[in-house]
Amino acid sequence: MLQSKSFAKKTKQGRVIKVVREHYLRDDIYCGATFCKVCDTSAARLSASASATILIVDTNVVLNQIDLLENPKIDDVVVLSVVLEEVRHKNLSVYNRVKALCTNPLRKFFVFSNEHHRDTYVKDMIGESPNDRNDRAIRVAARWYQIHLGESTQILLITNDRENKKRATEEGISAETVESYVKSLGKPDLLDLVVLSSSVDVPMEDVEDLRPSKKKIIYSEHKPMSEVTSGLLHGIYHQGKLRVNRYNPFEAYVGSESISEEIVICGRANMNRAFHGDIVAVELLPQDQWRDGKSLIIDDDDDDEEEVHLVPNSADDVPRFENPVQPTSGSSPPVSSHPPGRVVGIIKRNWHSYCGSLDPMPMPAGNAGVAHALFASKDRRIPKIRIQTRQLGNLLDKRIIVAVDSWDCLSRYPSGHYVLLIENDINSRPFSSQVLACLPPLPWSLSLEDLANSNREDLRHLRVFSVDPPGCRDIDDALHCKPLGNGNFEVGVHIADVTNFVLPGTPLDEEASQRGTSVYLVERRIDMLPKSLTEDICSLCSDVERLSFSVIWELTPDANIVSTRYTKSAIKSCAALSYVEAQARMDDSRLMDPLTTDLRNLNSLAKIMRLRRIKRGALTLASPEVKFQIDTETHDPLDIGMYQIREANQMIEEFMLAANISVAEKILKHFSLCSLLRRHPSPTKEMLEPLLRTAAAVGLDLDVSSSKALADSLDRAVGDDPYFNKLIRILATRCMTQAIYFSSGDLSPSEFSHYGLAAPIYTHFTSPIRRYADVIVHRLLAAALGISRLPPIFMDGPQLTSIADNLNYRHRNAQMASRASVELHTVIFFRNRPTDTEARILKIKSNGFIVFVPKFGIEGPVYLVAKDKGSSDWVVDEAHQKVTKAGTKITYGILQTVRIHMEVVEPQPNRPKLQLTLII
Amino acid sequence: MEYVDSLTGFRLDGRRPNDMRQIRGEIGVVAKADGSALFEMGNTKVIAAVYGPREVQNKGQQINNQALVRCEYSMANFSTGDRTRRPKGDRRSTEISLVIRQTMEACILVHLMPRSQIDIFVQVLQADGGTRSACINAATLALADAGIPMRDLVTSCSAGYLSSTPLLDLNYVEDSAGGPDVTVGILAKTDKVTLLQMDSKLPIDIFENVMQLAIEGCKAIAQYIREVLLENTKLLESRKGL
Amino acid sequence: MVGLSLGEKQFIHGGIAEDLRTDGRKRLHYRPISIETGVIPQANGSARVRLGATDVIVSIKAELGKPSSLQPDKGKVAIFVDCSSTAAPMFEGRGGEELSSELSVALQRCLLGGKSGAGAGIDPSSLVIVEGKVCWDLYIDGLVVSSDGNLLDALGAAIKVALSNTGIPKVTVILGPSPNDQPDVDLSDEEFLQFDTTGVPVIVTLTKVGRHYIADATLEEESQMSSAMSVSLNRHGHICGLTKRGGAGLDPSVVLDMISVAQHVGEQLMSMLDSEIAAAEAAAAQEQ
Repeated sequence: MLQSKSFAKKTKQGRVIKVVREHYLRDDIYCGATFCKVCDTSAARLSASASATILIVDTNVVLNQIDLLENPKIDDVVVLSVVLEEVRHKNLSVYNRVKALCTNPLRKFFVFSNEHHRDTYVKDMIGESPNDRNDRAIRVAARWYQIHLGESTQILLITNDRENKKRATEEGISAETVESYVKSLGKPDLLDLVVLSSSVDVPMEDVEDLRPSKKKIIYSEHKPMSEVTSGLLHGIYHQGKLRVNRYNPFEAYVGSESISEEIVICGRANMNRAFHGDIVAVELLPQDQWRDGKSLIIDDDDDDEEEVHLVPNSADDVPRFENPVQPTSGSSPPVSSHPPGRVVGIIKRNWHSYCGSLDPMPMPAGNAGVAHALFASKDRRIPKIRIQTRQLGNLLDKRIIVAVDSWDCLSRYPSGHYVLLIENDINSRPFSSQVLACLPPLPWSLSLEDLANSNREDLRHLRVFSVDPPGCRDIDDALHCKPLGNGNFEVGVHIADVTNFVLPGTPLDEEASQRGTSVYLVERRIDMLPKSLTEDICSLCSDVERLSFSVIWELTPDANIVSTRYTKSAIKSCAALSYVEAQARMDDSRLMDPLTTDLRNLNSLAKIMRLRRIKRGALTLASPEVKFQIDTETHDPLDIGMYQIREANQMIEEFMLAANISVAEKILKHFSLCSLLRRHPSPTKEMLEPLLRTAAAVGLDLDVSSSKALADSLDRAVGDDPYFNKLIRILATRCMTQAIYFSSGDLSPSEFSHYGLAAPIYTHFTSPIRRYADVIVHRLLAAALGISRLPPIFMDGPQLTSIADNLNYRHRNAQMASRASVELHTVIFFRNRPTDTEARILKIKSNGFIVFVPKFGIEGPVYLVAKDKGSSDWVVDEAHQKVTKAGTKITYGILQTVRIHMEVVEPQPNRPKLQLTLII
Repeated sequence: MEYVDSLTGFRLDGRRPNDMRQIRGEIGVVAKADGSALFEMGNTKVIAAVYGPREVQNKGQQINNQALVRCEYSMANFSTGDRTRRPKGDRRSTEISLVIRQTMEACILVHLMPRSQIDIFVQVLQADGGTRSACINAATLALADAGIPMRDLVTSCSAGYLSSTPLLDLNYVEDSAGGPDVTVGILAKTDKVTLLQMDSKLPIDIFENVMQLAIEGCKAIAQYIREVLLENTKLLESRKGL
Repeated sequence: MVGLSLGEKQFIHGGIAEDLRTDGRKRLHYRPISIETGVIPQANGSARVRLGATDVIVSIKAELGKPSSLQPDKGKVAIFVDCSSTAAPMFEGRGGEELSSELSVALQRCLLGGKSGAGAGIDPSSLVIVEGKVCWDLYIDGLVVSSDGNLLDALGAAIKVALSNTGIPKVTVILGPSPNDQPDVDLSDEEFLQFDTTGVPVIVTLTKVGRHYIADATLEEESQMSSAMSVSLNRHGHICGLTKRGGAGLDPSVVLDMISVAQHVGEQLMSMLDSEIAAAEAAAAQEQ
């Protein structure tokens, strides 16, 4: 049966079109209850027993109470398609969560297409608003369910909308609000998840006087959307993403396309309830209000300070400050180049769940145990969130996750609700049974079919070996080196054949694609793929036969590539060495066995290749990776030290790079529009500014015109101080951009290059066990070789771009998690172990400086004056990057060595931090 | 944009991937023509009128041993969502006219009517995707109404591939999604393909599936057209008093 | 169309003289009219009128536009007629253009009044939204699907019916920050502006064959005419437009006579159309 829907639409050019759509009504839509005698139960999801209550939820319940719905205690829910559509339009992330609930086979959520069911279709009435019409549709569907299943089960419509509830009850449908239903279940922890509707009569106890009569409007109202849009069009407002300064949460930057400098937002009032990551509309403040900032390591209200952290690996990790220091002596301060502004409207909210803990407070006396607590997130950029809970005792002193609900202009803080308690710092998610079902059973071994496959070469006779960090169990790469008769070498890089087991479109593949990469924390690893794959089936362990994907070159003795071939293969590794072992073998001149000879040959080839790369301009930057030795019992760090790079490390690295480059060339040749590659954009002049300034201060001239020029300058930057070169390299590292994945169809070939490696093209191929990008590249290579067909996802350009974006995002997150883990363990290590050590000054400030501690690979602030005192004692010399105590000869210059004392202090409970103080 | 909802399996308008839109055919809408028909596929409405066989107007084009088949396709000003004045001779109209002419020429027994001319005029009243197919189906009906001898009924249907699913009978929204669009015209009884057009790209094995789906759609339409013609014949019979 | 033989021509003339036409009608009788509204859902208003074998479809689309500087307080209305090749093979390609433009101009004259916009049957001032800046442009498109004479009447009737069926979305205007800017317009989906069609005129064409005039001539009868006159009349019986076609000259008294006959016929036509429109609206309302 055919209905038609028509509505008027306005196009971008301002023309009006009437749009008419067909709408078919069906009679083959079923109710989804397994016990229903009338309907086809093949797709049914609701529980088998008729005694369960079936809940029908309305849109606002889904939008506001999604955390409640995700709790496994709520089940047997029917989600109507009209509700699903409304949720999708209002909030995409909630929609994705509901979708996940509906597709999860363990949860009993059923999607009922009421819009297309003949009996439940609701035609628009004249004069009815869309909201009313949707509410009517929900009621009609609930009524249908009642008639259809009413005799056997109880159907309940859950809605908080008073009008809807009233009408439903009038029509004979049982309806309840969320609170009353959850109360009836009798589970108090569920009640906590229920988000209360914001009504003025909820009393708020806080330090401020928030009695309704005394509530004053703290923040200005956000402007309505239409005004914002027209303001944007006319250039009065600017749109951009809000980036809060991690070291000063009341200062934020908005980078907008419509204005060249970033707009700075100072102060809580001007931020007007915007969160970090929101897309906001900003209005510039009038000229006379343009203040300039000082680059003090200080801020207004709460006591947030700089924290000791790991040395950054790229510009993204570097804490941002305002404009550099201006001389405190002298005339009127110059106008800062960042125009100040204030937020007038929020275009898109970026509210997540945040991890952190509650501020300590006394247990509440009355109010039936409901406490209003303030939650402080670990991420300093997020303001404190006010929550209500009945379990205050349970939650104090623990790490919890809280989600934000709303922030009106009357409240100083946003309101949220508590979601989850987490044990450690990281929330590790086990693999679902659907995913595990995709794995082959253990014990697994090479089968005859695998060998009989004509695409697979049998290379088990080759002397293949692997070199990895000690204790490594997920071995994804192995090499072999065979001298050929003509004086050349056959060198092969064999990578674990993960795509043989992870097939596209399977739950295993979906999960891996979502995770994007394995996350390496100090003590453990959150795997992208299940352990049985990563450590056994795919891992190229020694003395077992394994499947692999190989890149085999014929190389001349001076490492020139004569030919390359790619093939799937079966190998048997004869040894899984650690870097130390491999190095020891090569160094021991007494050993002459074939394995050692191979290692030495590879090493000499690698050295030639590395030299060639450096000549081309590859950068060797210093990344002082810190390594911990952990006590197995107490899990406390026993020792902390810098990661040692040996020749063996560089050898493996060299061949992995070569393999990645060869594979990149091959897949680009076959799939020029849909290859997944990796690029490293060259740093811009602005990014290199701090490096150049520092270098100039110590009398060093760096040529940054190209990566080769920079590499050469860095090589030449030697002083009498043995650490000097390393320090300069560390400073250079801070200026670099991150390398990112991209789809070759999105950019022109000149933009493919990798600055750091000085390679015109690059990709990731060698670690499919821990990186999803490599899995994608394996599939591309297999299709290029004609082994298998390219999955249809590659045809879809925009989807490939979003996959690349997701991988970049996951990679970033994994890095940040890693760094956070290291920082955490650093603090744990230094607790009860105050240490004195040497440090080098990296940056000068007017009240102190930032130092780098080479022994531990960390950097942090050292204050010369107490925080709350004035800064008039010390004078900064910008040009020479020195700070001098006024009237004395005491001075500290950049890159100077100082001695510092490191100690863990705890100014706030549950917030320990490492403090560095100068030893004079 | 999700063209096939992953949760329910329905398309944007509530059809399943291999459901066709509602079709309707009517014969004899233009009284003055020798044969005419109105054909609707969903919201796409097309009128076809056939004049002939008659004397060739332009003696230069006359063919001595067979009939001359001419075809003209035009769209009304109001047929699409935004109203545009369409010049009659624009490229798209010419191309579709050619396509329809070739398709119909293949099935008309032209050697039975030498030195004559058969004109097929197709007018699109509403366009909502699949106009080509609707025109061919309407032309078939109109030719049957005109009593012109044909080898077989030609029917046509389109199919596409969106959200990794083959979809039958795309409407305008699905058509403008930029995915592949395969139009197939077949001779119903003899199962021969007379028209095959595709734009965008598809891997070969998926193309086979999509084409198969379109052919099935054509067969279903042929079934319906046969019923319409049968009804019409019964009506004529009763009018004649048989 | 096949030409008429001498015998046939005589038959037609004779019949008309006897007040008995070939299809049995009296001289001033109209063929049965059938009306359908809303045939083109994509348009703001549409109608299909069948007058015997003549079949015309009219669609009305409204688009946002800028009023002309000469008349800033009025919207714009444009009428276009297209003769589809399905109506007659001679309309193929550019063959129908002459007839199309003739019909368009005649309709414009009858319904839209003169250049200054005075005396228009359709009042364009109801189409203005913001004076001088934003107004509705109404495009009236006629399509002749099948032609069996008397196209002008059919088109006129179809336009009247289509206008009664037309709904223009209500707009709320959002003024831009500065008065010189083009204001932004927000459409409301629910409310519609209905046209008042009581003022819209109908067109009556009288064809002179021999010494008598007939109303609603078929194609064959039209081929025998000496001259024809189309009069556009509104509800009050006032003449809104006049067109004379055909080569033969007419005596002025004959012209006045024809006009009075047309008025008489026009009243009947008007009432018939009004009742049909009301019936159609009632049917549509019931369906809701």
